[in-house]
Amino acid sequence: MAKKQIEKKIVAFCCENSALKAAEALSDPATLDAVELVRLPCTGKAETGLLLACLERGHPGVLVLGCPADNCKFLVGSTRANKRVQSTRRLLKEAGLSEERVRMDFVSSVDGHRLARIVREMRERLNAIEGAKV
Amino acid sequence: MITAVQKPFADIQAMVQGYANLLVLGCGTCVTVCMAGGEKETAILASTLRLANREKGVKMQVAEDTIERQCDREFFDTVRDKVEAADAVLSLACGVGVQFASEVFPGKRVLPGLDTRFYGATEKQGVWGTRCAGCGTCVLDRFGGVCPVARCSKSLLNGPCGGSQKGMCEVDQKNIECGWQLIYDRMKLLGLLDKLEENQPIKDWRTGRDGGPRKIVREDMVLDA
Repeated sequence: MAKKQIEKKIVAFCCENSALKAAEALSDPATLDAVELVRLPCTGKAETGLLLACLERGHPGVLVLGCPADNCKFLVGSTRANKRVQSTRRLLKEAGLSEERVRMDFVSSVDGHRLARIVREMRERLNAIEGAKV
Repeated sequence: MITAVQKPFADIQAMVQGYANLLVLGCGTCVTVCMAGGEKETAILASTLRLANREKGVKMQVAEDTIERQCDREFFDTVRDKVEAADAVLSLACGVGVQFASEVFPGKRVLPGLDTRFYGATEKQGVWGTRCAGCGTCVLDRFGGVCPVARCSKSLLNGPCGGSQKGMCEVDQKNIECGWQLIYDRMKLLGLLDKLEENQPIKDWRTGRDGGPRKIVREDMVLDA
């Protein structure tokens, strides 16, 4: 019998102070079926090597979801994360991959509806990329 | 430290093309501090190469490792097996490390992943600036600890040229400070401005690169065979 292929999800690195709370507050958790949530104390912990490693392991895309820039508990964590995400996108472009595979967004703890939209739009972008169906 | 930056990715790709087994080898000393070729940067470059190869259908095994230093022979022992298994080594050390790796493994193709820049210091996180030109005869005692050889674009020893404007150098008025403005300010702070009136004799550049490849021999440290 052919081995069933396990479909990898989008990895969403979520700040536990904002995006993760927004995800937990969603009334319809099925909205997040396409993503694997990873809790971080701050998105400033998300480094370029980690984002690339997710893609290497077959995940179609990576989201980094941090606090709004002026509301980071650690002051500059989400700003730093954003710089690293931009750097990662540049590397992907140089490597011939779509930079849309990695994206940063800012979500406050009460932005559940926005989080759902970010995930939906990420799926749409990835579905438009060959070999990255979600 | 010796500072360096990673070569453009397209140049690296072109360099490693055709090798079936590549080892990306980082260096844990200077280039780790200047965030160009340490363990993290090695992992990032190896990952990017693997992703690029997968995207283009290129068959290449990309392994990675980082050793403490690539300018000392003993540290290569830990990666000897990996180097021998590879068709080529992409070294993320400075030019010294790349050459020394070639000497330690003479039959192995060792390629440079970095462009080595200068002897510098960390001015702030993410910013490094030149401080020493390795001229071989230090003159910092005469200039308040600011080197005119490294920090004046013309390496002038007897005062600034006419291109010094508002503390900046005519070579790049936005980014390069006038070395002689720095010297003047420091000597003023130290109360040593009168020392700048002393004429500096012509510098003997033979102790620097102009004297050809250099070598230091400490007889008391050399182990007899």
